[in-house]
Amino acid sequence: MMLDRVLRIVAAALIVGGTLTAHKSSAQDGAKIAAGEVVYNTYCATCHGDGLVSSGQTFDLRRLEAGARSRFENSVLGGKGQMPPWKGVLTSEEIDQLWHYIRDNAYQK
Amino acid sequence: MMSARQGALLAAVIAFTAGFAASASSQTAEDLKNDHLTPGDVLVYGMGYSGQRYSPLTQINKDNAARLVPVWAYSITDNRGAEGFPVIKDGVIYTTAHNATMAIDALTGSQIWRANHEYPPETLRVVCCGIVNRGAAIYNGKIIRALLDNQIVALDAKTGKEVWRTKSPAPTSTENGYAMTGAPLVANGVVIAGVAGAEFSHRGFLEGYDAETGKHLWRHYNIPAQGEPGSETWHGESYLTGGGSSWVTGTYDPELDLVYWGTGNPAPWNPRARAGDNLHTNSIIAIRPKTGERVWAFQTTPADPFDYDGVHTPVIATIPAQGQPRRVVIQANRGGFLYVLDAKDGKLLAANAYGKVNWADGIDMRTGRPKHTQVYHDALAGKKVTVWPSVSGVTNWQHMSFSPRTGLLYINTLHVGMTYEAPEPPKLVPGKPSGTPTVRRTVVLDDPNVRGYLKAVDPMTGKSTWETPYKSPNYSSTLVTASNLVFTGTMTGEFQALDADTGKILWSFQTPSGIVGQPVTWERNGRQYVTVMSGIGGVYALRSGDPNLKNVPAGASLWTFALFDK
Ligand code: HEC
Repeated sequence: MMLDRVLRIVAAALIVGGTLTAHKSSAQDGAKIAAGEVVYNTYCATCHGDGLVSSGQTFDLRRLEAGARSRFENSVLGGKGQMPPWKGVLTSEEIDQLWHYIRDNAYQK
Repeated sequence: MMSARQGALLAAVIAFTAGFAASASSQTAEDLKNDHLTPGDVLVYGMGYSGQRYSPLTQINKDNAARLVPVWAYSITDNRGAEGFPVIKDGVIYTTAHNATMAIDALTGSQIWRANHEYPPETLRVVCCGIVNRGAAIYNGKIIRALLDNQIVALDAKTGKEVWRTKSPAPTSTENGYAMTGAPLVANGVVIAGVAGAEFSHRGFLEGYDAETGKHLWRHYNIPAQGEPGSETWHGESYLTGGGSSWVTGTYDPELDLVYWGTGNPAPWNPRARAGDNLHTNSIIAIRPKTGERVWAFQTTPADPFDYDGVHTPVIATIPAQGQPRRVVIQANRGGFLYVLDAKDGKLLAANAYGKVNWADGIDMRTGRPKHTQVYHDALAGKKVTVWPSVSGVTNWQHMSFSPRTGLLYINTLHVGMTYEAPEPPKLVPGKPSGTPTVRRTVVLDDPNVRGYLKAVDPMTGKSTWETPYKSPNYSSTLVTASNLVFTGTMTGEFQALDADTGKILWSFQTPSGIVGQPVTWERNGRQYVTVMSGIGGVYALRSGDPNLKNVPAGASLWTFALFDK
């Protein structure tokens, strides 16, 4: 329903500080998304682009679909090609936060 | 009259020199010194120790440039940014990628050898700005280059076999935030190498290695330790994670025996974690190549909030300055001012804006310090500001060229600003990322269709005689010839020749990927060639999200052009 949708968007915007793309976010998810953005900016933006927007030469993380969680974790922990491994650097909590941030901005919700 | 002893000495000197001349594949110190005068080869980064990227060749000129055609192309087999400077000697081109060094027949484009370099995958955790390498040096039959994991390696130019390899001593490591992407410079028999890593809380330095043996000779920390002069410009232990890297190759004046190098931004970007001027970050330093002794230093951006990483190569030239021809070094600084300093002592001769700048009103000619505007003060106080230029600068690392014929610099510039805010800074430890996450910023544009210009700039005034606009900024270096042609490449892959007098594009050729490389020109058997790498990558392509680059495929290749000869 329209009103329901508007309310959800407003709530999400309040929680994550302006990210209007958030979908069915609980307060807990909102906190994860915000934390994930910080982790992303710290370790990933150098190769995957500011705000997840890459200009096309590196893997576009917004392509990751809901079912890709284990692929995501495997690649992030173990590395792939010229993607460095993050095992021992990122905690499982941080990887979970990253996942929430990326999924929140994904093309396919 | 010559004494017997003098006679013997003279004979010895002649024999010594002849001995060198006889071995054709050797690149003696003398060859490197004369590189700019010998257009048959390209031996020194920047096409000569002065870094002018100027060639006396004139076969390709304004009238015939439209007849340029590719002679051959060579696949580098890599999808990362192709930023390397090609070295050319005796009909062989030596070029590099982050994970390989290659020797290619300059006339046919066929591969002579390829040496692959492996590095631990963790190395890439501290590569802030593209998985790249910017080139090799050549000296006495050796190709000398840096590896991402902080090793310097010398390869036999004939075979590609390793001659020596030296690891940069502690504390240099991936864990401590160090990586090597730049091309070494051989000056006075010493291999001089710098480091990247100011985005990962390192303490930057320059190092010297013996070119024959690889022995580590010296290290010059760009940031003083506690108690050393300049340490009072750092708060507490902040110097240990203070940045000041050296990732762009410098230049050398053999007469003064001084190497000039630009040093990078302080770390973290967030200035609230490091009160003070932060010497000698964002500085031009002059170093003795044999010892690493610093002879002078000039700081461009003290207490820098904006990542105005002052690494741009100081170009050496003799130009009229204050009424007489003077030997100067010129730096197109990231913060938007064009500095001219006396090469001998670093005295400031000119400093003028060469693009849109709002954080300072100019440079105080007596103190050399920026005249800060409210934008700067607000930024330092943690307020949100809109600042020009952006973190990428009025120019970034891409090299300008200088023509002694026109007296002008040819600079690929950016026309991009940013919003900026520095919140409460985090606590830092060596190796921990200290760039992007410590400040907040967004891109600001005047015109989405003009994010950069190629400009012809007067070094003493900063004023342009022409400006050619580009949709996306060119991160290719420029090259200028005595026939007043400027060569450069675009992010979308066009390799171009422009009229150095008007900025008009005379010729353009679409290469397979974007160009972030360094064009060079050379001759063999009476024919002039132009060589450049194509292969998008590097910091702008990776991070900017520039929509113009969406359809630019990755893939590194090396191209050589000449006039159609039928
Ligand atoms: C040094 C550059 C670099 C950094 C830093 C980096 N990546 Fe990557 N990443 C790459 C490259 C290159 C690829 C493409 C790898 C390939 O397919 O060969 C990639 C691919 C990926 C993929 C897709 C892998 C797959 O399964 O196809 C994911 C997921 C990913 N990166 C996540 C991350 C996250 C999360 C971070 C931060 C913790 C990060 N990356 C940091 C370079 C980087």
